Amino acid sequence: MTEQIESGYELPVFPYKRPPELSGLPGQVSIVIVGGGLAGLTLAADLSIRGIPFVLVDEDDTVGVRGASSRGIVYAQKSLEIFARLGIYDRLAQKGVAWSVGRSLRGDRDVIYEFDAAGQTHSEQPPFLNIQQFYIEWYLVERIMELGVGELRWKNKVAHAEAHDDVTHLVIDTPDGRYELHADWVVDCSGLASNLREKLGLQTHPEKGTERWCISDVRFKKELPLERWTWVESPVNNNRAVWQHPMADGVWRIDFQMELDADVDYISRPDVCTERVRRLLGDEFPFELVWVGPWASRTHLLDNFRHKRVLFAGDSAHVFPPLGGRGGNSGIQDADNLGWKLALVVKGKAPVSLLDSYNLERRPAAIHNTLLATRSVRFLSPVSAGQRCLRRAAMDLARRHDFARKMINTGRLSDPFRYQDSPISADAGESVANVTLQLKTGSRVALVDLARANQLLVFTGGDVAIPEALKDQQVFRVGAGTRWDINDHEGLVSAALGLQEGMVVVVRPDLHILVRSNDASILTRATRNVLLVE
Amino acid sequence: MKTENQITDPDRFYDELSTLHASLNAESSADLNARLVLILANQIGDNSVLSECLALAASSGN
Repeated sequence: MTEQIESGYELPVFPYKRPPELSGLPGQVSIVIVGGGLAGLTLAADLSIRGIPFVLVDEDDTVGVRGASSRGIVYAQKSLEIFARLGIYDRLAQKGVAWSVGRSLRGDRDVIYEFDAAGQTHSEQPPFLNIQQFYIEWYLVERIMELGVGELRWKNKVAHAEAHDDVTHLVIDTPDGRYELHADWVVDCSGLASNLREKLGLQTHPEKGTERWCISDVRFKKELPLERWTWVESPVNNNRAVWQHPMADGVWRIDFQMELDADVDYISRPDVCTERVRRLLGDEFPFELVWVGPWASRTHLLDNFRHKRVLFAGDSAHVFPPLGGRGGNSGIQDADNLGWKLALVVKGKAPVSLLDSYNLERRPAAIHNTLLATRSVRFLSPVSAGQRCLRRAAMDLARRHDFARKMINTGRLSDPFRYQDSPISADAGESVANVTLQLKTGSRVALVDLARANQLLVFTGGDVAIPEALKDQQVFRVGAGTRWDINDHEGLVSAALGLQEGMVVVVRPDLHILVRSNDASILTRATRNVLLVE
Repeated sequence: MKTENQITDPDRFYDELSTLHASLNAESSADLNARLVLILANQIGDNSVLSECLALAASSGN
């Protein structure tokens, strides 16, 4: 029936253990994470770093959803910085392919647009790293196991849930039977078709789109530059779009835009896909299909990413077209936004209302991602002669003119969202790059190295008095020279923070700015929004 | 957005544009106009002004 493709990958199998609660009363736990994908594992690793115990339940016992499929492959700088904080970045950098150059081509090789994202920040991480999604999940699992703070329960599937005001009851199925957990906090990271979210009856306003793509992972030895190449109208794909990305292990990821409403079984048949790839690569280069899969577009969005004691992250909360690679990255950044807040609340250091800021920050980010992804879809699927004419005009002008190049839209790549409507980071809220810091001791650290403690990071431009409310946080006086806590002789740290002489910049553990001010009452009020301090 | 005349010599502009269209078929004319829209939009630059212009264009046909 379906042809099997040998991927050549052997994915890990994690051990199932009989849960203790099967033989007795419901378990009482502080935090349950449902789902071991990008969002769930990022959150679990973050809580582990912060010393916060949790139980993560996943219905499977491996990484990857449908075997060794690449799925989300383009990891943006912010996500890479998060992985650096979690301690898996070095492994990812060794395995994956860092890149910064992207080209849009017309026809066979006419370059109409190119960009180089390098040098836009002074982060220690590159603009992008491509790697198959299962590698990230794999390394996160190993990191979580290494840290040993929380518990991973494989082959545990949430069958039912009841959300109360101060506790959530979860009914969980395992190979040995059913048991119950009562959790102070639940974070649902179980994806698009979340059973937990369905059982709670929460509306996501799903819409199915007519866009179809065929995703293929292809191993071949043709020497191609390690760049992202996209075609708006590819001659090998019926003048529809194609994306070509390098990944780990000499495997390339090639996405083909299909006809609207195309039959997903047909477009992802291995022989059909093989023919398409052969047309792209030419006859002289042998290749093997590692994985093929269809993708049908859909969108959905929860009205609130918090429902009583249940929080939602990743695809369970929001889904939009994959153009620009915003899905996985936003799930990772949801977890990044939530981890430190949950840690502070559970430790009694922050008011519970801090968790409402998660919804007020990440839901607008999801709306922004949906808007940008939808615009890319529309550019690539003109629905009328007039729209086709407009696109032709942009492409004709793009080769020589910058203003037209800016309109060529084969996907706007993920960048960190600025929380400008946040109740806690008003007027600030932008993300700070993971810059290198030279400490008074002479050693060099990265900004993320300071962000693992459950504290705010306070930077002062020179000698500035800080209010009482911030005294117990990590305070760094910044200036040029060795007498300063941070020796910023090149000014790069101040530039990255937007820190001026006489000012105070307070940074959250997710490296977004909390407040920038020299007014003690403003600084105190901002701190009190986040921490329970006098 | 301004609707009082800003063009130094309106007849001259109209004539130059007409000349460009004289020998073009419908599709080529549409392509020319589309390129011109993008070029002129870039001269204006401000998104709010552009949105007003688009709204005026959309509501002015008969």
